[in-house]
Amino acid sequence: MIRDVKINSYQFLVLVILFTIGTSILTVPSALATDAKQDAWLAAIFGTGIGLLVIWLFITIALWFPNLTYVQLLEKLFGKWVGKAFSALFVLMSLIYASELLYYFGLFLNIHMMPSTPMVVLSILLAGVMVMGVRLGLETFARTAEILIVVFFVIFFILVAFISPEMKFENIQPVYEMGTKKIVQSSIFYVVVSSVDAVVLLMIFPSFINKMKQVKKSFLLGNLIGGIVIIVITFLSVSVFGVEKTAGEIYPSYELTKRINIGNFVQRIEGLMASLWVITLYFKTTLYFYASVLGMAQILNLKDYRPLTLPLGMIAVVLSLVIYPNVMYQQHWDSTTGNSLTLSIGLFLPLLMVVVYAIRKRTKKKEIEINE
Amino acid sequence: MIKSIGILLIAAAILWIEVPPLLEKKYKKELLVFSILLAIGVGLSITLGFEKPIPNPLDLLTIIFKPLDDVISHLLK
Repeated sequence: MIRDVKINSYQFLVLVILFTIGTSILTVPSALATDAKQDAWLAAIFGTGIGLLVIWLFITIALWFPNLTYVQLLEKLFGKWVGKAFSALFVLMSLIYASELLYYFGLFLNIHMMPSTPMVVLSILLAGVMVMGVRLGLETFARTAEILIVVFFVIFFILVAFISPEMKFENIQPVYEMGTKKIVQSSIFYVVVSSVDAVVLLMIFPSFINKMKQVKKSFLLGNLIGGIVIIVITFLSVSVFGVEKTAGEIYPSYELTKRINIGNFVQRIEGLMASLWVITLYFKTTLYFYASVLGMAQILNLKDYRPLTLPLGMIAVVLSLVIYPNVMYQQHWDSTTGNSLTLSIGLFLPLLMVVVYAIRKRTKKKEIEINE
Repeated sequence: MIKSIGILLIAAAILWIEVPPLLEKKYKKELLVFSILLAIGVGLSITLGFEKPIPNPLDLLTIIFKPLDDVISHLLK
C-alpha cells in the first residue's frame, strides 16, 4: 500500500523549494541581521553554499540504497536495535518540529491578523489540513504543491518589484565589514533551518520518486532556488530597514511589505506576504508530519501509516500548545538546543553513517577475498 | 467539563472513522498502535483542558543535549 506511491522529479523539486523557504522567509532575516549586521545577505549566500554541501551529503547517502527510506536505511546500517533507537529520535524530532511550526502559525496569525481568536483554534485549523494532506498521500500534496508554487512565485515577484523603490544602499554599507569568520558563523542558524532540516526529505527521496537520474539535480536545484529567495528577502529587509530594525523585529519581511506604497494607491498588501508564508509553512509542516507518521509506521513494521495520522495530529496540536511557554523561551531554545538536535540528527548521524558504511564495505570485501 | 466532552466527542469520531476498516482487514498491530496513540492524545488533551501543567518534552531534550550545546556555542564564539 505504501509502496506504489510515486512522484516525478519536478514535483520533488517543487517540494524541496517550498521546504527550503519554509519558515525561513519570515524569521531568518532577523536572525542573520542580529549577528552579521549589514552583511546578513552575504551570510545568506554563504549559508546557501554550505547548505548545498549538506544536501550533496544527503544525496550520496540516499543513493546507496535507492529503495529505502531514511528510517529503513538507519536500520540497515546500524542493525535492528541501534537503528530503531536512532529512528525513534528522528521521528520524535520531526513530530516536535511539526508541532513547532503549528505554534509558529498560531502565534503569527494571533499577533498580526486574528488577535481575539485563541491560538488553539488556529493550530487545530492548520493541523486539520495537515492531517488531511498526509491521509490523502504524498501524490496528492505533491500535486497541490505544483499548483501553489505558481501562486507563490507570482506573489513573490510582485512583492519584490513593489518594494524595490524603497531600497537604500547606505544601509548595507560598508560591505564585508564583519569578515569571513563571523559571517560563516552567523549563517549556521540559517543552514540548520533550511538545509540540515531537509533530512526529513530523505523519507521520500529517493524511494518514492520514479526517475532517478534527474532527481539528484532537482534536490540541489530546489535548495538553490529556495536559497535565492531567502537571499533576496534578506537583502531587501536589510537594505530597506537597516540593521537595527531588521534585527529587532520577529518578522522583518512582514514589516517590509507594510512599507509598500506605490503612488498612494497600492498600500498595505502585507496579507500577500502572510499568504506566501502560510503556503510554504503548510508544506514544511506536512512534510515533517509525513516523515514522522511514515517513520513511526516503518519502525513498528506496520502495513499502513494512515491509521496513525489522526491520533498523532491530536498529539501534535497538544504539543504545539505545550512546547513553548513564551516567545523568549522559543527564541532561546531554537538557537541552542534546537540547533544541536537538528545537527545531531541531520549532520552528525549521516556522517556516522558514511563511516559505518565504509567500514562495512571493507569488511565485506575482505570476507569475499578470504573466501576466494 | 465542556472541553473534555468536546475532546471525547472528537475521539469518538476518530474511532468511528478508523476502527471499522482496520477490523475488516484484521490489522491487529495497527489497531494496537492506533489505540495507544489515541489514548495518549486524549489523555494529554483532557489534562490540558483542565489547565493542569504538562511536562515540557523540550526541557528533557535541553538536558540531554547540554554537552553538545556547550561544544557548539564554544565553536561559534
